[in-house]
Amino acid sequence: MVEEILKLFRSELRVVNVGLEHFYGELKKQGVKVAHVAWQPKPKLEKDLEEILSKML
Amino acid sequence: MPVVKNVVKKNLFRDSVQLLHLSEEAKKIPGVIDAAIVMGTELNKELLEKQGILTDEGRLATDNDMVIAVKVRDDVSVDEVVSRVEALLTAPRAEERYFYSVDSAIEFLGGANLALISVPGQHAREVVMPLLERGVHIHLFSDHVPLEDEVEMKKFAAERGLLLMGPEAGTSIINGVAIAFANVVNRGPIGVVAAAGTGLQEVTVLISRAGSGITQGIGVGGRDVKSAVGGIMTLQAIKAFEADSSTDVVVVVSKPPSPDVQDRIVDYIASKGRKKYVTCFIGGKEFRTPEAARGRLVQTRTLHAAALEAVRFVSAELYEEAAKKVFLRPEEVVGIAEKEFSKLERGQKYVRGLFTGGTLTYESLVIFKDLIGDVYSNTPLKPELKLEDPWRSFKHSVVDLGEEEFTTGRAHPMIDPTIRVQRIVEEARDPEVAVLLLDFVVGYGSHPDPASAHAAAIKEAKKVAEEGGRYLAILAHVCGTERDPQNAEKQEEALKAMGVTVLPTNALMALTAAAIVRRGLSGEDVNRFYREYLLGYEG
Repeated sequence: MVEEILKLFRSELRVVNVGLEHFYGELKKQGVKVAHVAWQPKPKLEKDLEEILSKML
Repeated sequence: MPVVKNVVKKNLFRDSVQLLHLSEEAKKIPGVIDAAIVMGTELNKELLEKQGILTDEGRLATDNDMVIAVKVRDDVSVDEVVSRVEALLTAPRAEERYFYSVDSAIEFLGGANLALISVPGQHAREVVMPLLERGVHIHLFSDHVPLEDEVEMKKFAAERGLLLMGPEAGTSIINGVAIAFANVVNRGPIGVVAAAGTGLQEVTVLISRAGSGITQGIGVGGRDVKSAVGGIMTLQAIKAFEADSSTDVVVVVSKPPSPDVQDRIVDYIASKGRKKYVTCFIGGKEFRTPEAARGRLVQTRTLHAAALEAVRFVSAELYEEAAKKVFLRPEEVVGIAEKEFSKLERGQKYVRGLFTGGTLTYESLVIFKDLIGDVYSNTPLKPELKLEDPWRSFKHSVVDLGEEEFTTGRAHPMIDPTIRVQRIVEEARDPEVAVLLLDFVVGYGSHPDPASAHAAAIKEAKKVAEEGGRYLAILAHVCGTERDPQNAEKQEEALKAMGVTVLPTNALMALTAAAIVRRGLSGEDVNRFYREYLLGYEG
């Protein structure tokens, strides 16, 4: 069950970078297709609301 | 009199690498003698104190606050400098387009096949799981990921036939692309799977330097080979290499695996594997090679040997050439050591290793245990050899500066040399120190020019020793290739010009250091070392 991995080995990389912006820059320098997600932890209130909603639904 | 000022920005966050770049920009403002912009963690405040740029205001900062610390000449206005630094903070970022959700980033790319995740470990699961559900392979750089999260994510990934490289994976090389900290190496027929970040870097670099190359370099994170995780991704990578027609030889690298995981890996290689294998369980236990794997499974004790044996499986001629030209002959090492120890005073008896790479630290400790005995460390081989204070060496010491106590709220020492350059000079002041060992891990992810960043400290260290009436031997190993952005060969040349002795592999650096503090090794000892540590064997 490694077809998905072999597919990765044969494909052009398309990378989502989540977290350190530095790694985005380093991939970009290599000419890799990459998109950067400026990730921030969810504020506590938003998290609490999500939990309440998921319990209700 | 220079003026020092701190300004604290409450609840303002930037990541450690962004802050490092901002600090460098701030230092370029005219009139600035020194500057640092850091999050207000205890470690960072201590370092500001050492730098002489912490004030009472800065002392009050907390982990969530940013501290702008500047030291300026008295002929410039400190407030003006601070406002220029503040302007750097709020300056609109270059024309880059960033996304605020993973979904929109994937949409922009028209689909993604790999995600590089470096969010704080406690949040990793919430970012990783939805990506795995979408069929995206993951390189998870984050540390502090709860063990139960790792097991859950890896099982989930394995069931879907996906790769989850990490957590705590510093390095991978996929389709020739360097992910996180990795080097530009040749493509070739060798696949490498490693539960050891700088282990993967050293092995792929040495394979490349020896004239061969790799298909893929898969980092799985150090915990993968422990019982709790059970080698899920190491086995997944091995299965992929077995199925990959471009891979002829597979190298498996890690610090000692749990015995059950080691057995599982070896059993799989023997019962299901058809390709050639080199294992490098540094500091681990030798195993009996199963009948079914005889002739195609070689064990090694160092990264140096793992790379060479993999190359030997590819081509005997390449191996012969590399063993002679790229790596050193025993008599060459003896000669280098002699040249160095002949300049030492009698009282200089200790090695001091200041490492940025965790696996390189560990490999050195394993070699030193054999050649010079007990070595203290913040990551020791035996608990009783733990340094009481990681900031101060004791007798023979080898320190991993990439460990938590040096990196909380700061960039890794491969990017930020601040802590190491201070430590180099401190070690030089100790009259009992004979030899310093420094690793320079270059490639993508790392500092753009580490040799230059260490030049002043190396010069100062040599001077401090000289003023104390002694010579200080400084050894270095540059883990990198000439195609890395820093050009490893140029880095080596720059270090040699500073009076540093450069060794082609980490294992040879440790051997040379041991020969220096022991004032030479017998031919018998050196030959035994080459046989046991630099060659493979069938157990």
